Amino acid sequence: MSAANDTTSAAPVLRAVLRVIGWSGLGLIAVAVALSDFLARAPAGATGIGPMLEAPSAGHPFGTDLLGRDLFSESLHGLSMTFGHALLAALIAIVLGGLFGAVAARLPRYAGLTLRGVAGVLAAIPALLLAILVIGLTTRDFAALAAGLAAAPLAFVRAFDRVDAQGKSTHAEYARATGISAATLLRRDLTYEFRDTLAQASARALAAVAIILSTVSFLGFGATPPARDLGLMIAAAKASYLYAWWTAAFPALALLVLILCARLAAGLDEGERP
Amino acid sequence: MSESGRVLEIIELCVAKFGAARPQIDRFSLTLEAGETVVVLGEAGSGKEALIRVLGGFADKSDIISGALRFGDTELRQAAKRMHATIPVAYLPNPSARPFAPHISVQAQLSRVLARKLGSPLASAREELRLALERLDGAPSFASLDRKPAALDPVTLAWGLLAAACAQTPQLVLADHPFVDLGPNAVRTLLKTLSGEQKRLGFALVYATGELQAAARLGGRVLVIRDGRIVEEGDAARLASGHAHSYTQILFKALPQLSLDPPKARSQARGQPLLQVYGLELTSPPNGRDGLTFALRRGAALALVGEEGSGRRALARAVLGLDRAPAGRVVFDAVDINVLSPIMTSRLRRRVAFITGADDALDPRMTLWDTVNEPLRAHLRLSGELVAGYREAALKRVGLASHDGKRTVASLSAFDKRRLQVARAIVGVPLLAVVDEPLRGLDAFAQTIMREVLSDFRAHEGPAFLVITADFTVAQALADDVMVFQDKKVVERGAILDVLRAPKEAVTQGLIDAVTLPGLSQNPPPV
Repeated sequence: MSAANDTTSAAPVLRAVLRVIGWSGLGLIAVAVALSDFLARAPAGATGIGPMLEAPSAGHPFGTDLLGRDLFSESLHGLSMTFGHALLAALIAIVLGGLFGAVAARLPRYAGLTLRGVAGVLAAIPALLLAILVIGLTTRDFAALAAGLAAAPLAFVRAFDRVDAQGKSTHAEYARATGISAATLLRRDLTYEFRDTLAQASARALAAVAIILSTVSFLGFGATPPARDLGLMIAAAKASYLYAWWTAAFPALALLVLILCARLAAGLDEGERP
Repeated sequence: MSESGRVLEIIELCVAKFGAARPQIDRFSLTLEAGETVVVLGEAGSGKEALIRVLGGFADKSDIISGALRFGDTELRQAAKRMHATIPVAYLPNPSARPFAPHISVQAQLSRVLARKLGSPLASAREELRLALERLDGAPSFASLDRKPAALDPVTLAWGLLAAACAQTPQLVLADHPFVDLGPNAVRTLLKTLSGEQKRLGFALVYATGELQAAARLGGRVLVIRDGRIVEEGDAARLASGHAHSYTQILFKALPQLSLDPPKARSQARGQPLLQVYGLELTSPPNGRDGLTFALRRGAALALVGEEGSGRRALARAVLGLDRAPAGRVVFDAVDINVLSPIMTSRLRRRVAFITGADDALDPRMTLWDTVNEPLRAHLRLSGELVAGYREAALKRVGLASHDGKRTVASLSAFDKRRLQVARAIVGVPLLAVVDEPLRGLDAFAQTIMREVLSDFRAHEGPAFLVITADFTVAQALADDVMVFQDKKVVERGAILDVLRAPKEAVTQGLIDAVTLPGLSQNPPPV
């Protein structure tokens, strides 16, 4: 038994600060991506820009790779592609997962629970395997769709559980007792539950799909040359990494910054169920 | 106990939050002798909570504290955030403030606290708790506490906490609104028991409350506190006499008053029956003997009075079709609700409003404006201007017009939430308003305003009122007729005045006695 609860806590303030840092970082990444053609010193995939495997220098701040490509420019183009695909995949995950999950929780009980069960089974499968399965059923060009579909079941389950808990609450019972319809209650949930958590859920989804996209590319199931994404760049650096660390380190750093900013923007929230 | 008999001395205590414009406690001084009672009476936020925090040694990290404290005969010390009293001090919290961990039995938690306080083995502390419970007249059995907190009602939890406090044989008890959400009968019994234990053990008592029942029943000094300062000090009878500070008079206006004068004629013309109940049984399986039959006319008001679990709320839920009763028929607005489809039932319920003492009755995510707008937007096709007009008028009527409409319900006080429920009910223009313990947990000042708001709602919109309460003063203020419940049966019914003048059943007399404060309020004549 606790005598009294300590009502003051630094955690919410710290989380808000982290979110601001994260969103600011994502904003800077978005600006860098939008201006990538101006900021890059060479077009994507341009070879022979410098000597082979030159270490970071004033001329090539990130060094060059085996084909003499400027790694600064390549990392920027790779980040641009990964970020763009991740945004698309996150949107798919939010709509198919979050939005449908919220709506499913307000469907007739048996239908909602059936969908929740299916999503629960899919959420139990590692997202990477799901993404590879979808790519296998389609083509590599659908890597963003695959990543979005792979992240959607977990978002579905989270949204369903949140809205379902609201449906069982006292205020929902009182609302129903005064003739408020299920459609109005769903509107409430979409307005408050979905809208208020949208930014956080988007950032969380962005981090998740960026990892999936990079990993499938790294494994050879995603982007193919001449397209450049960060996973593919890290995979290509496997041959030179042991004696030219910069060939893998800078693309990996760019990926790390993207994921870290997205995680911070989500307030380091893992999306625990209510 | 100290040689001088002094248990506590507070000198010029100040408590402020960092960055706050006003201190929560402002130069507060008090001396308390052994066996003495001090009731700290004030509204929510008056500073009594901060006082208990500091005395209990669990001040917030953001509290800035100055002044001096002395427990017993020890030296005067600077008041600090984590100060340990040098005498045995017991803390008696409000069971509704969730003082228990949810997954461990109440018996185990109280035994652990006792073991720590007494420095004894757990088995010995458990035995002390059992003996303490047995000593308290009317307390539940020791075995009944061997359940998780959610499985026990607040009255049982309050008995457990009281027994644990007394088992510590304290010199000082800090009671922090301990019985605030309980029915008047339970409060009366618990206060009487607390008073008895105080006499037996001789501890001093600091009792923080916003309600007047404790001030009137416990006796001792009453400190009326406002904005952290003592406004007035004296015994309850003097403070209630009318020769008191204007703020004290406002507080004591909320003192439960049972009137034996004939009620004023209601302006509402009573029409056709709105609600008809035929042979409704609340016990399962139905026995065919205890069926309840009554009718509520349009604009009339019926109070369902009884203790928690007596069946009054079960009746209200059955009447509204939220739960299906084992037997009987309910006809609302000339339609049998048991034969309607869910969609038709929902449409019928649009003419029903709920006003309850539950703080979670409104969606905490919604804004103040959206909460009032929702019934208008959900049931009617109105322009934005009309919606805003109705909303503003309703908010003005309940005194919330000056609040920021974009504030969420979660950020509102219990009193504001209660008034917001009335505003939402007003715009719905209901035929029936179910009013369930509307004053529960409110301080005296808020209770007075809430009564006025509800009376105004009834007078202007003219809905039929179904009032669920354990408090006869609330029933009398809001209803004309009463049904008294016990064990899921109606034991007495009639016009409130007739029941007050000549109660036939012991349970009715008990409920009347629970809100009759000797020496302070008008008492019904003895039967």
